[in-house]
Amino acid sequence: MTTAPADRKNSRDSTGAETLRVGREVKLLDGPVKVRGALDFCADLELRGVLEARLVLSPHAHARVDSVDVEAARRVPGVVQVITAAELPRKRPSSRSTLLLAGDRVRFVGHPVALVIAESEAAAQDGADAVVVEYSPLPAVTDLEQALDPQAPEVWPEGKPGASEEAAAHGAAGGGGTKDLGAPNVASRTPFSRGDVAAGLAESDVVIERTFRTAPVHQAYIEPHATLVVPDPVGPGATVYSSTQATFNVRDAVAAALGVEHTQVRAVGTPVGGGFGGKFVLYEPLVALATQRVGRPVRLVLTRMEEMSAATPAPETRVRLKLGARSDGTLHALDAEMVTDNGCFPASMGVLAGVLLGSHYKFPHLRVEGIEVLTHRASTGAYRAPSAPQAAFALESAMDELARELGIDPIELRLRNASHPGDPMAMGAPWPSMGLTEVLEAVQSHPLWQQREQIRAEGRGVGVAVGGWPGGTEPAAAACALQSDGTVQVHLGTADITGTDTGFAAIAAEVFGVEPDRVRIAKADTSSSPYAGASGGSKTIYTVGPAVIEAAQEARRQTLELAAQALEADPEDLEIQDGAVNVKGSPDKSVSLATIASRTMRFGSRQAPVFGQGRHAQQMPSPGSCAQLAEVEVDEETGHVTLHRLVVAQDVGKAINPLLVRGQMAGGALQGVGFALYEQLVYDEQGQVQTATFSDYAVPHSTAAPPELDLIVVEVPSPVGPFGARGVGEPPIIATAGAIGNAIRDAVGVRLDHLPMTAPRVLAALAERD
Amino acid sequence: MKPAPFRYCAPETVDEALELLATGDPEDEVKLLAGGQSLVPAMNFRLARPGLLIDLNRIAELASIATRDDAEGSILRLGAMVRQSAAEHSPDVARLAPLMGEALPSVAHTQIRNRGTVGGSLAHADPAAELPAVMLALDARMHLRSVRGERAVDAGDFFLGLFETALEPDEMLTAIEIDAASAVEGSCFEEVSRRRGDYALAGAAARVRLDADGTCRFARLTFLSVADLPVRALEAEQMLLGERPHDELLRAVAEHAARREIDPGSDIHASSAFRRHLAAGLARRTLATAVSRATAAHGATDHGGASS
Repeated sequence: MTTAPADRKNSRDSTGAETLRVGREVKLLDGPVKVRGALDFCADLELRGVLEARLVLSPHAHARVDSVDVEAARRVPGVVQVITAAELPRKRPSSRSTLLLAGDRVRFVGHPVALVIAESEAAAQDGADAVVVEYSPLPAVTDLEQALDPQAPEVWPEGKPGASEEAAAHGAAGGGGTKDLGAPNVASRTPFSRGDVAAGLAESDVVIERTFRTAPVHQAYIEPHATLVVPDPVGPGATVYSSTQATFNVRDAVAAALGVEHTQVRAVGTPVGGGFGGKFVLYEPLVALATQRVGRPVRLVLTRMEEMSAATPAPETRVRLKLGARSDGTLHALDAEMVTDNGCFPASMGVLAGVLLGSHYKFPHLRVEGIEVLTHRASTGAYRAPSAPQAAFALESAMDELARELGIDPIELRLRNASHPGDPMAMGAPWPSMGLTEVLEAVQSHPLWQQREQIRAEGRGVGVAVGGWPGGTEPAAAACALQSDGTVQVHLGTADITGTDTGFAAIAAEVFGVEPDRVRIAKADTSSSPYAGASGGSKTIYTVGPAVIEAAQEARRQTLELAAQALEADPEDLEIQDGAVNVKGSPDKSVSLATIASRTMRFGSRQAPVFGQGRHAQQMPSPGSCAQLAEVEVDEETGHVTLHRLVVAQDVGKAINPLLVRGQMAGGALQGVGFALYEQLVYDEQGQVQTATFSDYAVPHSTAAPPELDLIVVEVPSPVGPFGARGVGEPPIIATAGAIGNAIRDAVGVRLDHLPMTAPRVLAALAERD
Repeated sequence: MKPAPFRYCAPETVDEALELLATGDPEDEVKLLAGGQSLVPAMNFRLARPGLLIDLNRIAELASIATRDDAEGSILRLGAMVRQSAAEHSPDVARLAPLMGEALPSVAHTQIRNRGTVGGSLAHADPAAELPAVMLALDARMHLRSVRGERAVDAGDFFLGLFETALEPDEMLTAIEIDAASAVEGSCFEEVSRRRGDYALAGAAARVRLDADGTCRFARLTFLSVADLPVRALEAEQMLLGERPHDELLRAVAEHAARREIDPGSDIHASSAFRRHLAAGLARRTLATAVSRATAAHGATDHGGASS
C-alpha cells in the first residue's frame, strides 16, 4: 500500500497555522486490547443472573398469525419465560425498533413472533425450537418491481407507519413529498427540478439513457447485534448495554418502550465490533420489556443467520436516468429517478437520492426523484453513505458512456462539469466548500491514469468514478478536566466506531498543549456523559470536535490562570510544555500540571478544579468528495473479474490522524469492492433470504483486495470543521463500484448495469457483445 | 448458535468406534465426528441433530500417511483422519499423487484444512467438494470397516449421490489408497469459485499419459460441482485414447464432456448453463495443462531424469 502525502511533519490547520499533534500519525488507542482479544464486547459481559434470549422468527414474508403455542417451550428445561405479543403493550409500530413482536400478522421473513428467555443460550434455542406458531400465508410483495404495481397486496393496509430515526442522522430529514404516490406500497416521492428537463434533453446533442440496478446488501459487521438489559433494582427503569452507534437514541427508545422518563434509563455503549450504519436501535426496546417481565437481566445476541433476515440491511435500488450533453461536452439535462426498496418500513431517505444524483454536476435542466417503496422484506437501515454508492454507480457509469459517445477524456468531462462551492445542489441550496475538483485532479495525475493506454494494450482496463457525501450536522457538548496526575481528561458521549477517541485525544492535546498520550478519553453512559449524537453520517469528529476544542481551550485558560497565581506571573507570559506551565523565557519558573491539579483537589483548597466545558452546534455540513481509479482484468472464458489496483483520492479537509484516515479510506473502498463484485442478499419469490450465512453472502476476503491500493489524502480545508476537518467515513465507499464497472467497460467493452458484477453477469454481457 | 442436545463419546481405537457404531443409538441418528468442518456448523444451525456423536479425533491409528511398494508400483495410503493440511504439505502426496497436492490448496481456507480431514470430506460426499472428484480421477480405493469386517470400494462405486456414499450405517471409512502416479503422467486441477476458498461453481481434474510419440494411452477427466455427485467423463476420456491431443481435439473433448456427461444444477450463485460453460472451459484448460505436463515428463524421463 502506498500513500501520499507521506511526510507531514509540519502540519497546518485551515488557517495555515502550524499544528503539532493534530495531523500526526497516532495508532488507535484501543488497538492493542483489540488485537490481543482482551476487549469485552456486549456478549462477553459477565453480570450476576444474566438470562439469554432467543427470537422465534417468521418463516413467511406475509401471513396471518393464527396461534402461538408456547406451552411446550415453557416446559423445556432451563427456559424461564416465553414472551409473545400478548405480554407486551399494544402499540402501533412506527419503526422497526417499536415493532417488538408480531401480533396477528407477520410482514417479513425474520419478523420476530416470540422471545424465549432461558438460563443458557442452548436452552433458549431448545425453547425457541419448541414454540409452535400457526400461520395462514397471505400474498406478499417481495421485490421492488412488484411494489410499484398499483395492484400489489399492501404491506400496511391499515395505513403506512412513519419515518425511521436513522434518517435525520444522515441529514436526510425534510424535503417535500408529493401526494399522488401512484401505488399503495409507494411510501414517498421526493422530486427536485429546475429548468425544463424535456426541452433540455431535446436540445442535447447526445443523450445516454440507462437503467441500473443494485442488490440489497448487508453491513456485514463482525459482531452481530447484541444487547443486555439490567432492570433497575428499585425503579421502573433499566440499564441497557448495547453494541450501538447511538447511545442516546437507545436510551430514549427504551424509555419510550418502558413508559418511563428518558433519564430513568441508562444506556451504556459497549465496544462496537462494526456497525457501518446498521447499529442504531433495533432490539433494545424488546429486550428491555422482556427484562421487566422476568425481573432479571436479559441478553440477546443475534446469530449470523438472524442478522441476515432479522436486522436492517441496505436497500435494493433501481436507477433510471437520461443524461444529456452538448457536443462540446457541457452537461445540459438530467432526468433521473432512484427507487429504493425499504422493506416493511419507510427509511425517509428520498431526499438523499435526489441530492446524490443531481448535485455533483452542473445541469441547467434537472429533474431527479427519490421514490421509496415498501415490500414484505426486513426494513432497511443505513449502510455507509446510504444511497450514495447506488446513485454513483448509475450516474458515473452513464458519465463514462457519455464520455465515450462524445470522445472526451472521462476525467476531463467530469472536471468540465463538476460543481464548485456556490453552485446549486439538486434542491437549489448552494454547495458549501468542497473538493470535488481537487480529488479528480489528484487521480488525473496518477500514473495509473497516465498509463491507461498501455494498460489497455496489455489486455486490462482502467476506469474512473467520483462521488461524495453531503455531510451531516448535530449539536454536541464536551468537558475537559485537568487530573491530579497532570493528564487531561476529556468527557464525551460519543460511540467510537472509527477511531474518533484517538482523534479527539489529538485535538485536545493540540489545544491544551500536552502530548496525545497525556489525554484520557472518559466515556461512561448516557447518565454521566455530555450529549453527542449517533456516530453516523461522517459527523463525529466534525460536530463533536469543535466542542472538544472549546472545552480544551477553556481548561487551558483555567490552568494558566491557576499557574499564573502560583508563579506570580501574567497568564499571557505562560506556556505549557512537557507537562508543566513555564514562564516564557524563564525555564526555572515552572509548575507542573500535576501540581496545579493536585492543589485544586484537596481538603481546604481555595482553588477551583480545572473543568472546561464546550458546546457547539455546527450550522452547516462540510461535504467530502472521493475519486477512484480501478484497474481490472476480465477472464473472458469464465467471466471472472480480477481487481489489480485501486486508487482512492479523498478530500478529508484536514487529516486529524492520517493513519486512521487512510484506514477509513482503505476500509471504505474494500466495502465498495464487495458492493461492486461480490455482495448481495438474495431473496426468493416467497421473500426467503437465500444468503443466510457468510458462505453464501460473499464479503470480500483479504484475497479479494487489490494487490495495489493507493490512498491519496487531499486536504481542502473546511471553513468550520475542527482544524479544517471534514467527514471521512462515508466518501470512500461511494465511487468504487462505478470505477470498477467503468474499468470492465474499458477492458472488454461491455457495460455492466446490475450489481454485483458477478462472473455470470459479466459472461452474459460478453455473450451479448459477441 | 448452539446444537441440539446429543450424546458424545470419544473412542481411542477403531474397534471401539466400530462397536459403538454397530450398537448405534436406538432413538436417533449416529454421526462420526472427524474434522467437524461441515458437521459442527450443521449441528450448530440445528440442520443436523444426531443423537450420538462418535468423535474419531483420539484414534491415532487413523491419522497417518504411509507408502508401500507392490509389484505394480508404489501405493499411497492415507488414514481417514489425516488432516487436509497434513496431506497438502506431505512430500509423499506431492510425489505419488501430485493431482491431490495441487487440489488441496483449493479446499476452503488454511484454518479449515488444519482441522478438516481427508476421510471426513470423502464420507460427507459433498458434490461441490474437491477431494471426491480428485479421488475419482485418481482411481482411489476406499477402505471401509465395520464389526462385520473390511472391504475396499473403488471411488467410482463409492459416491452414490448428494451426501450419499456406499457406506453402510455401521461402516466407517478408515483409509484411502492411491496407486502412485506414473512418472510420465501429467495432471491438473482447476476450479472457479466466487472468492478464493469458496465452494467451486465448477471444477475439473485431469490426468493424461502419453506414448513417446505423444499418443494418449491413459486419460481421466472428472468434475466437481456439476451434478449431485462427482462425475467422471468416460466418453470424453475415450475420445482421447489413441489420439495425439491437440487444441482442437481438447476443445471437442471438453465440449462433449460438458454437454453430454454432466448434469449441473442451478442455484443462487450460478445457473446450470453457466456451470456447463465453466465446465467446458475448465476441462479444456486442465486437459491442456495435463498434456503439456505429460509431454514435459516424457522429456525428463527420456533424458534419464525422473523415474518412479
